[in-house]
Amino acid sequence: MDIVGLARLQFAVTGSLHFLFVVLTLGLAPLVAIMHTRYAIGGNPLHERMTRFWGQIYVINYALGVVTGLVMEFQFGLSWSGLSHYAGDVFGAPLAMETLLAFFLESTFLGLWIFGWHRLPRGLHVACIWLVTLTAYASALFIMVANSFLQNPAGSAEMGGRLVLRDFGALFTNPTLVFALPHVLSAGLWTGGFVVMGASAYHLFRRTPEREFFTRSLRIGVLTAFIGSLFTVGFGYAQFGPVGSVQPDKFHGVIPGTALGLMITIGQLVQFAVMFVLAPLLIRDLLARWRWLHPLLMVMTPLPFVAAIAGWIVREVGRQPWLVYGKLSVADALTPGLTRADITASFAGFAGVLGLLALVDYVLIARAVRRGPGQVALGAADLPVTAEPVPAHSL
Amino acid sequence: MDIFWFLTFAVLLAGYFALEGFDIGLGVLLPVLGRSPAARDRLVGAMAPFVLANEVWLVALAGVLFGAFPVLEGQALSRLYPLVVALLLAWIVRDAGLWFRRRSGGAAWRLVWDGALCAGSAGLALSWGAILVAVARGLPASPLDAAGIAGGVALLALLAWHGRTFAAWRLQDGPGRSGRALLLSACAAAAPAVLVMAAAAAHMLGNAAPDQTLTVLSVMVVPVAPILVGAQVWVWRTFSRGALPTFF
Repeated sequence: MDIVGLARLQFAVTGSLHFLFVVLTLGLAPLVAIMHTRYAIGGNPLHERMTRFWGQIYVINYALGVVTGLVMEFQFGLSWSGLSHYAGDVFGAPLAMETLLAFFLESTFLGLWIFGWHRLPRGLHVACIWLVTLTAYASALFIMVANSFLQNPAGSAEMGGRLVLRDFGALFTNPTLVFALPHVLSAGLWTGGFVVMGASAYHLFRRTPEREFFTRSLRIGVLTAFIGSLFTVGFGYAQFGPVGSVQPDKFHGVIPGTALGLMITIGQLVQFAVMFVLAPLLIRDLLARWRWLHPLLMVMTPLPFVAAIAGWIVREVGRQPWLVYGKLSVADALTPGLTRADITASFAGFAGVLGLLALVDYVLIARAVRRGPGQVALGAADLPVTAEPVPAHSL
Repeated sequence: MDIFWFLTFAVLLAGYFALEGFDIGLGVLLPVLGRSPAARDRLVGAMAPFVLANEVWLVALAGVLFGAFPVLEGQALSRLYPLVVALLLAWIVRDAGLWFRRRSGGAAWRLVWDGALCAGSAGLALSWGAILVAVARGLPASPLDAAGIAGGVALLALLAWHGRTFAAWRLQDGPGRSGRALLLSACAAAAPAVLVMAAAAAHMLGNAAPDQTLTVLSVMVVPVAPILVGAQVWVWRTFSRGALPTFF
C-alpha cells in the first residue's frame, strides 16, 4: 500500500473506533439524564439505581470516546497538513468551536457529574448531566458541520490558491448537513436503546433478582430504539436528494455501494422489527415475560454499531478521491515529506493501542452489565482525606 | 484580532501546564509517593476530579491552533511528527490507566493500570519537554536530540515537583502544603511554556488566519467564555476540600 493509502487507512481505523464509542455516548447521555431527572424529582430509589447503573456503562464507554477522539483531532495536522494549508481558514473554525464551545464544557461538566455524588446539591448535579448531553450534541453539530464542508465546500471561495470563509451561516445550512445531523443523532439513540435492551434481556434471561429494574429498562430501551430507528431511517432516505445534487457519483463505487446496501438492509429490517414486533410486545410486558425471545434481543444489540460504521464508509469512501469535494484531492492533502516509516509506525502505535484498549473497554462494559445494579462504582462512598491507620483484624 | 487569539493560545498553553502539570507530575510520582494500593488510591482520588477539567485545556489549545493558526497547525504537527505521536500515545495510556484501574478487583489488574498511569504521565512530560525545546529552536528537522531529551527530563522534574506540591496541598500531608506553595509551583510549571510562547510570538502573529475567520471565531466563542471559566471555578470550589471521590 502507498503512503496515501496507509494514511487513509489510519484515519479510517481510528475514526471508526472513535465513532463506535461516540454513537453510544450520544444515545446513552440523554437516557441517563432523564433517569437522573426522574430520581431528582420523585426520589424513587429505583431511579437512582438506574441512573448509577446505566451512568456507569455510559462513563466506561466515554473513556474510549475521549482517547480515540484525541487522535482524531491531531491527525489532521499530522497526516493531512495540506488540508489546513488549503482550507484551514474555513474548516478550522468549526473544529475550534467544537473544542471550546462543546468538548471543553462536556469534559468539565462530566467530571463534576462523575465525582459530584454526595457533594453537589441534587438539582445542580442533574444540571451537570443535562449540560453533558447538550454539549455532546453540540459536539456532534460542529463535527458534522466540519465534515459536511468536506463533502460540499459551502460558504467559501478560492483566493490565491486557498479557500477563504465567505458566509459562515452557509456552513450550517449545507445541504449535506441538514439531514445528516439528525440521521447521526437518531442513530445514537437507536444504539443506546439497543444496548439498554440487550443488557436488560441478558438479566431477564438469566432470571437475576433485578426483575423490576430490567423490565423497566427493557421498556426504555425498546421505546428509545423505536424513536431512534424511525428517525434514523427517515433522515437516511431524505439524504438521497441533497447528496445526489452535490455528489452525483457517490454510490457508484463497489465499497460505498456495498456499504450502502448493508446499512439499508440492517436499518430497514431492524426498524420494522422494532416497530411491528418489539414495540407492540411492550403491552403488558410480554417482551419481558417471553424468555425465549431474549437471546434474539442480545444478538441484535451490535446491529446499529455495524450499520453506523457502514454509514460512515458510504459517506467517506463515496467522496473519494476528494478530501474537499471538487477542490482538494486526498493525495494533494497529504503532509509533504511524510515517510512510509512515519506513517507505518504511528499507524501501528495508534491502531495497536486503541484497538487493545477498545477490546478491554468492551470487556469492562460487559462485565459491568453482568455484575448488575448491585455492584456499581459510580457514586460509591468516598475515602476520608486523612490516611486511616491500618485497622486491626477483627472477626 | 490576531493578538487576541495569540493571547488566548498562550493562556491555554500556560493554563494547561499549571493545571494538567500536577496531574502529570503526580502520575509520575505515583509509585514513589504511594507505596501501597491504598496510598495510591488516595493520591489518584486527590487528582481524579480535576483531570477531566485539566486535560481538556490541551484539546482546546489544539482547536485554537487549527481555527486561528491553521497553517502553523499543519507545519508544527508535521515537523514534530514523532514527538506528537509519542505525546498522544502517552496521553492515551495515562488516561486508560486512570479510567481502568478500579474497574476490576484483582491486585494484578490494579498494578498494570497504575503502571500505565505512571508510564503515560512520564511519557507526557518527556515528550512535552522535547516539544517545547523544539519549538523554542524554531522546529529543527530532527527534534529528538540531546537538547530535546534534556528538556524532557527537566520538565519531568519540574512537573513532578508541582505534582508533589498539589498532593501535599490537597491531602494536607507533608511539607509545603499551603495554597501559596501550590500557586508557586503552578507558575513554575507554566513558566517554560510562557517563555517559548514569547519566543514564538512574532512567527505566530505572522501566520494567523484572516480577519474574517478570526471575527467569526470571536463572535461565537467570546460570549461563552464566562461559562468556560465558571465551569472551571466550579470544579475547584467543589473538589478542593473534603473526602476523596473513588471512581478513578
